[in-house]
Formats: sequence, structure tokens, C-alpha cells
Amino acid sequence: MNQKNNLIIGVIIALLVVASYNVDANPIEFVEGLPNLGIVAEELVQVDPKYVPTALWAMFETIQMAFIGTVVGVAISLPLSLFAARNLNSKFVYAPMRAILAAIRTFPSILWAILFVIMVGLGPFAGVLAIIMYTIGFVAKLQYESIETIDSDPVDAVSSIGVSKWQLIRYVVIPESAPHLLSQFLYMFDYNVRQTSILGLVGAGGIGFYIINYIKFFEYGKAAIFMIVVLITVLAIDWASVKIRDKYIIKSQHGQEVSIKTKSK
Amino acid sequence: MEKKSLNDSQNFSFILTKKIIQMNDVWTSYDSKSYALEGVNLSIDRGTNYAIVGQSGSGKSTLLKLLNGMMVSSKGTIKVDYLTPNTNDKKFKKMMHTIGYIPQNLGLIKNSTVLQNVLIGALPRLNKIQSLFNKFPEDEINEAKKIISQVGLKGKENRKAYMLSGGEKRRVAIARALMQKPHILLADEIVSELDHVTSREIMDLVADAQKRMNLTAVMVHHDMQLALEYANRVAVIKEGNKILEIGVEGDTIVDFQTGDMTTDEIMEMYSSESKK
Repeated sequence: MNQKNNLIIGVIIALLVVASYNVDANPIEFVEGLPNLGIVAEELVQVDPKYVPTALWAMFETIQMAFIGTVVGVAISLPLSLFAARNLNSKFVYAPMRAILAAIRTFPSILWAILFVIMVGLGPFAGVLAIIMYTIGFVAKLQYESIETIDSDPVDAVSSIGVSKWQLIRYVVIPESAPHLLSQFLYMFDYNVRQTSILGLVGAGGIGFYIINYIKFFEYGKAAIFMIVVLITVLAIDWASVKIRDKYIIKSQHGQEVSIKTKSK
Repeated sequence: MEKKSLNDSQNFSFILTKKIIQMNDVWTSYDSKSYALEGVNLSIDRGTNYAIVGQSGSGKSTLLKLLNGMMVSSKGTIKVDYLTPNTNDKKFKKMMHTIGYIPQNLGLIKNSTVLQNVLIGALPRLNKIQSLFNKFPEDEINEAKKIISQVGLKGKENRKAYMLSGGEKRRVAIARALMQKPHILLADEIVSELDHVTSREIMDLVADAQKRMNLTAVMVHHDMQLALEYANRVAVIKEGNKILEIGVEGDTIVDFQTGDMTTDEIMEMYSSESKK
């Protein structure tokens, strides 16, 4: 057993060395390159403060792009997830829907951005479209999974009344999966702000557009200012969404806990 | 249209017989190996408060689900108001609107309010498109509020279901069933997890509604004492068989299954069964 473990560890190390050689990953270069960060720091303090408002404005644009992308993406993913849920549809409906959603998810957002830059040209709109696509693929999956795991008791109780399928969805499925939706929305918005920050790298708007251009012209100090703004914003949004989640979602989960408790008694 | 046909069938059945539910040699199985019910015969009069008592796993919940078409039998015949329970049958599906069913875990929508939960009982009566936009007619809302105050939840209409106590949740489930304007009420062990006082309150509530609306109530219980206290008839189910059917007449318990057991013999038999 021990020998087998040693063998596995040996193989992993061997693969690591071979792969590092192939991709030119050299730890010595990393250590030697550390002082270069000093150059960035040095340039950072020399940057004219007039760039800060520009950075903030670019960040604001990024947040707006992420916001539109998340809202529209979630809105589109909701009906799609209803068709992709196994417990609501026949195989002929959910299987193709799942295939389409899986295909959408295969593309990372930056590839969608490239595609939309080709379609609608450079600028934030291409980025918004990319975020929408990515959000659809991702949230629809999260949402149909949460629909599939809703409590079967309310579904049974209400369908025994003889209501229509759409009434069942409207009055049982959606309210029962709604708490997940808010949490998914917050998670996705948080994630999309980070994603939108890099979409500028392919010309799809947002703060990344500035960062990549400053780097191209070796203006590391200015690039660093923009990156710090991204960092602070992402931390702030992360903090805020944790607060919102605590306030609104923990409450309803508490409700779920109570009902589970009475059941298992 | 729907109301008319229902009344017709009721009048018709009063002339012929007052039996509303009949089961003849009913067998059901969850898998091919074993049966949940093994040849059960049952006949329930209209307007009866009928109880089914048995240990867990005896098949009593299955029996209830057969009556509203949530499950199908593998053998035998079931008639509920002259129809065979089958959710694919249009006639039966219409009748389902007036069969109240309260499952063991109640099946309330946790994140919806008491009022919204109760209004669900009115959904089959509503225009489909209207109901998708959460537009309930004023009279349905008033009816729901009336029923909510009848079950003792006045002032809690806008409380979310998950915030309620166990007893209150049962009251909401009963209100939802009453909102259906039911002629049959099926309830699966709805008081088994409650304390003595609360479970009597809930049972009183059901008994009251049953008498007032002339409902046929079929309630599954764990507790024989409670069943005898409230029901006109009690069927005892054991391992998929009906082993006893009794009723209370005055001070004595009458054996309706074989007709020759005395009260003491019945109680002795039941207490020895429940010890096993």
C-alpha cells in the first residue's frame, strides 16, 4: 500500500518536471523576476493622481456592464431552466435544452467576447453580450439543478388538487426555488464583475481595455492603479453580497431547517 | 358545467347507494417483489368520518394515495364517486379539484404566505391565464380570509409558512384543503407529531368542518385512541391487510368486519397487535 502511494507520488513529480520543462516554467526565473515588482511599485507612486478618476469611471462602466449582463442573463436563463429540469419535462424537451446549455457553457466568456467583437464591433456592448451568454449557460444549470432538488411534498400536495402544469410551476416550483435564485444572482454578479474586468483584453469594453493598453506601452504604474481599483471593487462587492446573503437567504434557509426538523421527529 | 355534473353524480348516488368510496380486493406494489396492500376491501359511506389506523409501513398512506389517483393499484377495483381514480382521466381530474389531500409533511410552500398557500386551493376554479399572473378574484380572496379565520389564523394571513409553528402549519394545510370546497378530505397522519392538546384542537377543527360541509373524511392515524375519539368508523391495517373494522355505538365498540367480537376482545386484539 505504502509502496503504491510512493509510486503515485513519484509519477506525479515526474509529470510535474516534464510539464514544467515543456512550458518553460522555471522557479529560478520567478525568484529573479521578483525585484521587477519594485519597478511597478516605483512607477505607481509617480503616477499623476488625475488617472484615479479615469480608473474609477472605467470601473463604473465595468460594473454597469456586469449588471446588465447578469440581469438579462438571469432573466433569460429562468425560462430555459424550466425546460431543462428533469422533474418538469419529458426527455424530448429537457435533453436538447441541456445540450444547448452545455454548448453555451463550453465557451469561456472571453471567447464569447471575441465572437461578439466580430459581430457588433469593439466596445462595451460586445462585452455585455458575452456576459449574458456566459450567465445563461451557468445560471440555467444552477437553476435547473435547484428545481430538481425542490421538496417533493408541496409538488405532490398541489398536483393532487389537479392544477395545470404552469400553475404548479408558478405557485410551487418558482417560490420553492426562489431563495436559491437570489443567492445565484449575487454570486453571478460578483463573478461577472471580475470577468468583465478582463474582457477589455479583447476589446470588449470595461476597465481591462485600459489595463491591457497601459501594459502594451510599458506604463506599469498606470496599469497598477487600474488593477488596484479592480481589486478594491471586487473585495467591496464580495463583502456586500455576503452581507445581503446573510440577511435575506439565511432566514429562509432557517425556515427550511425548521420544516426538516419537524419532519424527522 | 363542472359543478352541475358533480351535483348530478351526487344526487344519482343518493338514490342508488350512499357509498362514496369502494375498494374491492385491491393490491398494490412499489416493486415486483412485495405488495404494499394485499387484497383490501373497503366501503365508506358519504359523510362519514373514517379513520385508518396502523403501524408505519402497514400500507395506510398507500391506501390514501390510491383514492386521489396519486398511485395506481396493480389489481382490484376502486371507485370514488363512481369513478376509478386515474389522473389521466379527464372526468376524474375534474373531481380531483374537490378531493382535499393533506400529505404527512403537509406540502406547504415555505416561502409563500399563509394567504398564498390557502389560495392555491382555489387554483382549479380560476381562469388559467389569470392565475399565472397571481390575479385572484376578490371573492376568492375574501373566501380564503374567511377560512383562515375559521381555522384560527386570523391576523397571520401575511406570515410566511416557514415562520409558523407545527400546529399552525397544519391549520394552513387544512385551510388550503377547505378552500378547494371539497366533498372528500384525505389526511395522512396530520396530528401524529403534535402534543396532546394541539392534536385535539386540530382534530376538532377537522371534525367541525367535516360536519358543517358534510364532508367524507378519510384520515390516517397512528393512534387508535384518537381515531376512536373522532371517527365513526375505524379500519385497522396490518401488513397490507385490513384486519379489523370497528365503530363506536354508544359505549360499545362494534366489530363491523366479522360482527362477532366484543369490545374487550377488539381492544385486546388491538393492544396485542400494537405491542408486536
